[in-house]
Amino acid sequence: MKEIFKITISLTAVCIGAAIILGAVFTQTEHIRKEQEEKTKKQTIEALLGYGPGKQAPPSLHVFSVYRYVIATPNKERMLAYVLPVKDGGHVILEIDLTGEPRRVIPLKAKEADLAEEGLRDRVVKEAIGKDYQVTFAQALYIADEEGKRLGYVIPSVTQGFKTFIHMMVSLNPQLTLNGIAITESEEDPGLGAEIEQPYFKNQFEGKTLEQLKNLKVVKEPLPQEYFTVLEPEKAKLAGLSAAQVKEIRDKFKDADIFALTGATISSRAVLNGVQDAVRKFAYRLGVLQAAIQKKNIQTAF
Amino acid sequence: MNRNLQLLWNGFIPENPIFRLALSLCPAVAVTTSVKNGLMLGLAVVFVQVFSSCTVAIFRSFIHPRIRIPAYVIVIALWVSVIDMVLPVISPEVYRQVALFVKLIVVFAIIISRLELFASKEPLVPSFFDGLGMGIGFLFGLCLIGAIREFFGAGQLFGLDVLGFKPLLVMILPAGGFFVIGFIMATFNYIEYKLTGKIPASGGGH
Repeated sequence: MKEIFKITISLTAVCIGAAIILGAVFTQTEHIRKEQEEKTKKQTIEALLGYGPGKQAPPSLHVFSVYRYVIATPNKERMLAYVLPVKDGGHVILEIDLTGEPRRVIPLKAKEADLAEEGLRDRVVKEAIGKDYQVTFAQALYIADEEGKRLGYVIPSVTQGFKTFIHMMVSLNPQLTLNGIAITESEEDPGLGAEIEQPYFKNQFEGKTLEQLKNLKVVKEPLPQEYFTVLEPEKAKLAGLSAAQVKEIRDKFKDADIFALTGATISSRAVLNGVQDAVRKFAYRLGVLQAAIQKKNIQTAF
Repeated sequence: MNRNLQLLWNGFIPENPIFRLALSLCPAVAVTTSVKNGLMLGLAVVFVQVFSSCTVAIFRSFIHPRIRIPAYVIVIALWVSVIDMVLPVISPEVYRQVALFVKLIVVFAIIISRLELFASKEPLVPSFFDGLGMGIGFLFGLCLIGAIREFFGAGQLFGLDVLGFKPLLVMILPAGGFFVIGFIMATFNYIEYKLTGKIPASGGGH
């Protein structure tokens, strides 16, 4: 009997010691990690809009965040709520029911920085909508304007990869043609599925229109060498191709399907499905949202 | 030779974790599709192995023998979690590359076996050198396998084109990993046979 106590105390002490160290490290690193995550997200969005190292984003570029919430009323009716930035600097919540009819418009008194943090935003939104409502965060959307004109949209999306989820961002131009994609988080196999992050795969999506995307497939064929060269900007530069030559080759493959990665067909398909899904739903939601905004005559900031 | 240096050398070649002890072969096959992956995982393993060995060596008298295995697992998980939290703060770029591998280290047989066989019996300094030696041996093994697989499978080294074509795609696939490890292990055994004249005993496997 005595031994069992010794064992219990010993193991408990080990666990408590480990927990204290982990807790200490966590509190020291967590806020820095969050800040860096925000910064990376901002950089990813700017890169998708065509700005990055060597090409500074101009001050006239504004990226507006729109948050979509799914809410359930006290009598179990499901609705959507969008948090929209408005012209005078504040935010409003716009409720839209499942048929696309706008319901309430609730002004929101919260700072931009508070809304950027997920936990805080959830609380503020729930308070504004009503205590007896169920409020669940669904998705963020980013709308980019430059000099008052629409530059494009960036949609974060999650899709089932080979083993775990692939998180990505899809960038669309105002005509809903794909500008490009970025993989923000994935745990695909190194050397195989992880190649989805390589430009020669990602850039194959560039320039596909909404119509093309609907019927796009993944084909198990070797990637043609000249296409590979133009998909990798570094390689194209090394090969001494001019911008016009790059464009010519790209045009040749304008209608090409997505070439599967060697040994990672499932990951390749997963990305394509994720992109198709995200864009299809976004195109529909954008239509509904814009109609609702017009009906309620909301002066949005974007 | 100084005992500490001998311990360091011991983990490098005579008791190389992958080729001689045949431990942690799963990660050795899974991640070594390129030298860079091998190098990253190897570095992470060196850190975890050294920290875990030192921790266990310091607290070895407090850990009750009958719960040593769960205690070791907690120690390893602790250091893996610490690295997982500190690395993104120190260097987000490196973390992006190794994030996937770092979490895997908790279950590596080589680390827990060194804690059980060495650190739980020896004081801090030898444990440190044993951990470092084993970690470096593992790092060396991963880089060697990674280099062979990347060279033959993708025609590259460190992501740079060397050959310009892909001689043997099978090398990048999991089956190629088994081939490469098998051949290197056979080479190690052959050299030992030539040097000592004895047929090497078969090692354990996890």
